[in-house]
Amino acid sequence: MIQREEYFDPIEKEEQNSEFIAIERKSFVRDVWERFKSNRRALTGLIVLGIIMIITLLGPILSPYSYDGMGTSINSKVSLTHWFGTDALGRDLFIRVLYGIRISLTIGFVTTLINIVLGILYGGIAGYVGGKTDMAMMRIVDVMYAVPSLLYIILLMLIFGSNIGSIMLGMCVSGWIGVARLMRSQVITLKEREFALAAYTQGAGAGRILFRHLFTNAMGPIVVSATLAVPQAIFMEAFLSFIGMGISAPQASLGTLAQSARMYMSIYPNQMICPIAMICLIIFALNFIGEGLDEALNPKGSR
Amino acid sequence: MEKEKPVVSVRHLKKYFVANRHVFGATDYVKAIDDVSFDIMPGETVGLVGESGCGKSTLARTIIRIYEPGEGEIIYKNTDIAHLSNRKMRAYRNKMQMIFQDPYASLNPRLTVAEIIAEPMEIYNMYTKKEREEKVQELLEQVGLKPDHITRYPHEFSGGQRQRIGIARTLALDPDFIICDEPISALDVSIQAQIINLLEKIQDEKKLSYLFIAHDLTMVRHISHKIGVMYLGHLVEFGEAEEVYKNPLHPYTQALISAAPVADPVLSRTQERIKLEGEVPSPIHTPSGCPFSPRCPECRPECRIDPPVVANVNGHKVACYKYV
Repeated sequence: MIQREEYFDPIEKEEQNSEFIAIERKSFVRDVWERFKSNRRALTGLIVLGIIMIITLLGPILSPYSYDGMGTSINSKVSLTHWFGTDALGRDLFIRVLYGIRISLTIGFVTTLINIVLGILYGGIAGYVGGKTDMAMMRIVDVMYAVPSLLYIILLMLIFGSNIGSIMLGMCVSGWIGVARLMRSQVITLKEREFALAAYTQGAGAGRILFRHLFTNAMGPIVVSATLAVPQAIFMEAFLSFIGMGISAPQASLGTLAQSARMYMSIYPNQMICPIAMICLIIFALNFIGEGLDEALNPKGSR
Repeated sequence: MEKEKPVVSVRHLKKYFVANRHVFGATDYVKAIDDVSFDIMPGETVGLVGESGCGKSTLARTIIRIYEPGEGEIIYKNTDIAHLSNRKMRAYRNKMQMIFQDPYASLNPRLTVAEIIAEPMEIYNMYTKKEREEKVQELLEQVGLKPDHITRYPHEFSGGQRQRIGIARTLALDPDFIICDEPISALDVSIQAQIINLLEKIQDEKKLSYLFIAHDLTMVRHISHKIGVMYLGHLVEFGEAEEVYKNPLHPYTQALISAAPVADPVLSRTQERIKLEGEVPSPIHTPSGCPFSPRCPECRPECRIDPPVVANVNGHKVACYKYV
């Protein structure tokens, strides 16, 4: 090492006491967004989903066709006038697929949102209160979870008819249980952490501790599991529609479209492939986003 | 002059945790704190020492009501707060605060420094929003941090700086009693001294009382006016810091002090070390009689039968049959 004389000069007055923070100032959200952005697959997923959503919103407004308007060209092939072809009643498939995506995404996002809110409240309370309350609350949940969710959906459909509402309700009956369990386990570990104890000694009430301190720290895994629950809900709806328990005509979801195309599968494959391809695309995109969020929210070795 | 009243006095405090419930009959308890009594005067620091697992932290957390106290009293000024409901306890929470051991775990990573320090004032609806901001600046300055640090997140700070933030947060409520639960044991030695000096400076300015928990004997001797020695949930010795250090009465304290490293090699070679035999007994099956009796080099037959009564040797309290 070269020793230079200026190395030994006394430092300037301002530089003394120069304890400063060298890393760039970042809020939590920005930090996560930057990590998410650097993940190429996740970003692709987000862009694809964004494009699909824009098309589904704008498509029906710009298109000359409506989802239940029948035309003269029956079972036409993929062409410039009918991008995805038409079905046996001469309805434009492209526009029907777009409506199908609307229904699928609505079901996916709304059920997930309801499940998250219910799960966070229930699991948060159970975990925070603990003891016998926790015991009782979790046993109730166990019983509900023991019944297959398909059964709830079928029963609700018998009562309320086969429409989006009863499908969503059916998926919510036991759908929030996963979130509740996750939230509960997070709260149980976090409430013993010193920052939670510190808030308690400062006189903070249960609500403040639960939502300001525990929830914000438990958010990571919950957001991830929620994004992964959206494609599950979409898939569930498609599956139900495919076995003939979905929403009723003339409305169509991606599942019912695939179901009605089943009969002509070998002659008009486009009627089957188009809705199924959209399901795949959406589910892939959502899964990539979920994965990317997981990595962005829980980076290894950052703590 | 009229005799000053203690800020906090602990009377026969007990805290048992349930360890094991047998299907038939008895329940096993961990006797984390067993019959502890002492006083803390205004502006005074009481140091609490003892080996790991002896109940120091449990005592701290019980006094500040993180754990529900068992039998006994915790008297703050004139009120017994040991069994107040959470609602009534709120009126006293702002008077007693706690500094935690791990500065990495004690600050919420999702909040900025300003939010962390302002939170206790928000909870107690102290000041307007604007005044709170000013107060945060003032507190930061007081603990030696820069005002432009307020929008930062805890992970951007070093351990020592985080501990300063923790101290600023406890000061936000103007408490008159602060429990320091090993506030320096997670820090580097050079930073330890800074934090200790800061705590002493604040004590001088605000006439605070500290209950200072540590296992570093020299540090405790330096900062404390009085020292309490704990063993297996019992307070075995309590007295003036210099007195306890120079003239330890209880055989356990004598062993503890002789085991502390001395910075002078010549002196260290001549100094005799008391080596204790055996392990600390399980806090579930505590020995009958004196808790220290199975390991005590000076154990007498009566030590194994009944627990010793606290003897007062010139204001220096010790629980040992040697002084009865």
